[in-house]
Amino acid sequence: MSAKLVFDAIVVGAGPAGVAAAITMARGGLRVILLERGRFAGAKNFFGGVLYTHALAEVLPDYWQRKPPFERPVTEQGYWLLSPDSVVRFMHKSEHYKQEPAEAYTALRAPFDAWFAEQAVREGVLLITKTTVIDLLRDGQGRVIGVSTDRPEGDVYAPIVILAEGVNNLLTQKLGLAGSDLPPRFVALSVKELIGLPAKEIETRFGLAGAQEGVAIDIFGDATLGLPGTAFIYSDKKAISIGVGLLLEEFIWHNLRPYEVLARFKAHPVVRPYLEGGESLEYGAHLIPEQGYDRMPELAGDGVLVAGDAACMVDALHREGTNLAMTAGRMAGETALEAHRQNDFSAAFLRAYRRRLEESFVLKDLKQYRRMTDFLDSTPHFMGTYINFVNDAAMRFFSAHGMPKRQMEGEIFGLLRQRRSFFGMAQDAMKLLRGMRG
Amino acid sequence: MHTVVAIKQVPDTSNVRINPDTGTLIREGAPVIINPYDVHALEMAVRLKERFGGKVTVLTMGPPKAAEALVECIEQGADRGILITDRKFAAADTLATSYVIAHAIEAIQAEEPVDLLLFGKQAIDGDTAQVGPGVASRLDVPLISYAIQIEAFDPAARRAIVHRRIEQGIEVLETSLPALLTVEKEIAAIRRAPLPNLIRAAGYQPEVWSADAPNPFDPASIGIKGSPTIVGKAFTPPPKEAGELVHVADVGLAAAVSTALAKIAAAGVVATLPAGAKGGSP
Repeated sequence: MSAKLVFDAIVVGAGPAGVAAAITMARGGLRVILLERGRFAGAKNFFGGVLYTHALAEVLPDYWQRKPPFERPVTEQGYWLLSPDSVVRFMHKSEHYKQEPAEAYTALRAPFDAWFAEQAVREGVLLITKTTVIDLLRDGQGRVIGVSTDRPEGDVYAPIVILAEGVNNLLTQKLGLAGSDLPPRFVALSVKELIGLPAKEIETRFGLAGAQEGVAIDIFGDATLGLPGTAFIYSDKKAISIGVGLLLEEFIWHNLRPYEVLARFKAHPVVRPYLEGGESLEYGAHLIPEQGYDRMPELAGDGVLVAGDAACMVDALHREGTNLAMTAGRMAGETALEAHRQNDFSAAFLRAYRRRLEESFVLKDLKQYRRMTDFLDSTPHFMGTYINFVNDAAMRFFSAHGMPKRQMEGEIFGLLRQRRSFFGMAQDAMKLLRGMRG
Repeated sequence: MHTVVAIKQVPDTSNVRINPDTGTLIREGAPVIINPYDVHALEMAVRLKERFGGKVTVLTMGPPKAAEALVECIEQGADRGILITDRKFAAADTLATSYVIAHAIEAIQAEEPVDLLLFGKQAIDGDTAQVGPGVASRLDVPLISYAIQIEAFDPAARRAIVHRRIEQGIEVLETSLPALLTVEKEIAAIRRAPLPNLIRAAGYQPEVWSADAPNPFDPASIGIKGSPTIVGKAFTPPPKEAGELVHVADVGLAAAVSTALAKIAAAGVVATLPAGAKGGSP
């Protein structure tokens, strides 16, 4: 029997939050073990989306020299409002986006997480993969003093454990920091496909000048059958990430199958030409926690902190999550360093973590959009009604077949009136405003 | 008690694509694993170590990437990993490979006596089952292929009783040690590696041996020079077509038998059939 395994800190999960926490603590001189259940960091991830570099730079100031495996810088981004047969595009392209390193990159998390975890190993973190943490070890007072894994002789001890276990936060629930299972009302299921195409072809189709340009598009309306949710198209180096996300509840209520929603979106006349001739490389789905600020778990307990998806740190409106996770992971790491300095691992001391988050964009943003999910929930017609209206209005506005413009304007107005009463519109606007302003 | 296990990193053939033009495996980008039989050989070695003490050395010849397979062996309980890698070893057939492995085992033996050699019964990418026997004959040690169980093992008396699978059933053999066993999966069930092993493996760097150092290999016996095998053509055989069925119920027994006999005669697979041959017991 080997000696007891003791470290200064244990991190559960090698995603952005866990790795950021591990790096921060290792750089601060702690002996850190990072436990990951996948074959390698990123193996369990299916993310193809946008990564923001500000949070990464705060964890690893020299990240650019370490050559992160990004796909393309995001030089053009915006929204498509999709009706069944047309689209209105609000896209923003700017020279400002062309600095290097850029503010945002499209990325695939499988290679990115592997790279990020490799940086942690370079900083002295002990990364152990293929190992699932199944429970927390607690002392007589219920304080967390370590974790037990699914391996023989698999107990590991440390005065502080950082849970970055992801959306399926079973350990956080076991500790009673989060309520039992995620309600379908507040969890989105995002189904995604990676479609391989030659780089040149991608650049031609999206109007990109070369590998130094990339596009990130969020799509509303018909892509999700007018239901609250979003679809997305991101240009990678030699592939397109395309997907649709809806609250689990919508899938259940409307008896939708995730793959059918994606297949329908891909067949849309506006979307199809972008994908033509591509080869399907990957297909899968992932849950996204969208409980929002008011239903977040407790972030600290005796000897334990929670960060990332496990703590529902997702800003669905701005498709942000990885940057919140990295920042939260870093702050959890900083708090753990401070706890080691003071030799105080009590929940009372560790609540400093939450205060750090309150002062950062992480909880400020989540607080501001705390009513967003409720808004979409209580205004399910919002996407369908207004987006179809915008498309119909655009069509009237841009056509010329001998109708006086005054009459055209009247028709557009009429289109809106048919769909929603003044009172209804006023209500929608108020609710939207409240959703945006917190 | 010192066991040497020889392993090979192979493409995961359950997760690999076939080039439709050539019928060969597309190795580029294919996920790699340790040859499954070799993992069981290692497990057997670790179990013997747990019982008798001593050490397990794992050996592989392959590209630099094969170092990760050795790290996985450390996770599974091996103590030492040796990677034999050099461009000069490239394109080796089973003759050249068995020379390299045998020569390396001699070098290990010179450092520390070896009691047992364990190999997987064959590699899933080539399926030749030749390297283990080739090494045994070069080292002049007893060979037991297709071993499924070690019934008794006595390192002090240098004897072991081993069960091996043969077509007719199971053969039980007693052998002197050292011996070389090529093993089936039944030899030992894989266990989940303990966490301390993973921690040790996380910082483990396998030893790397080249064609010249620390033990020089004979340049004429390695790589393409040491490989007389010529692959004329690799192809996927066409699927066998369904045969013709003659139902006794439709045509009667005599007609069915004579139809079958006529087919056999026409195919020329039997040189002569006695004139007027009839079916039935002799």
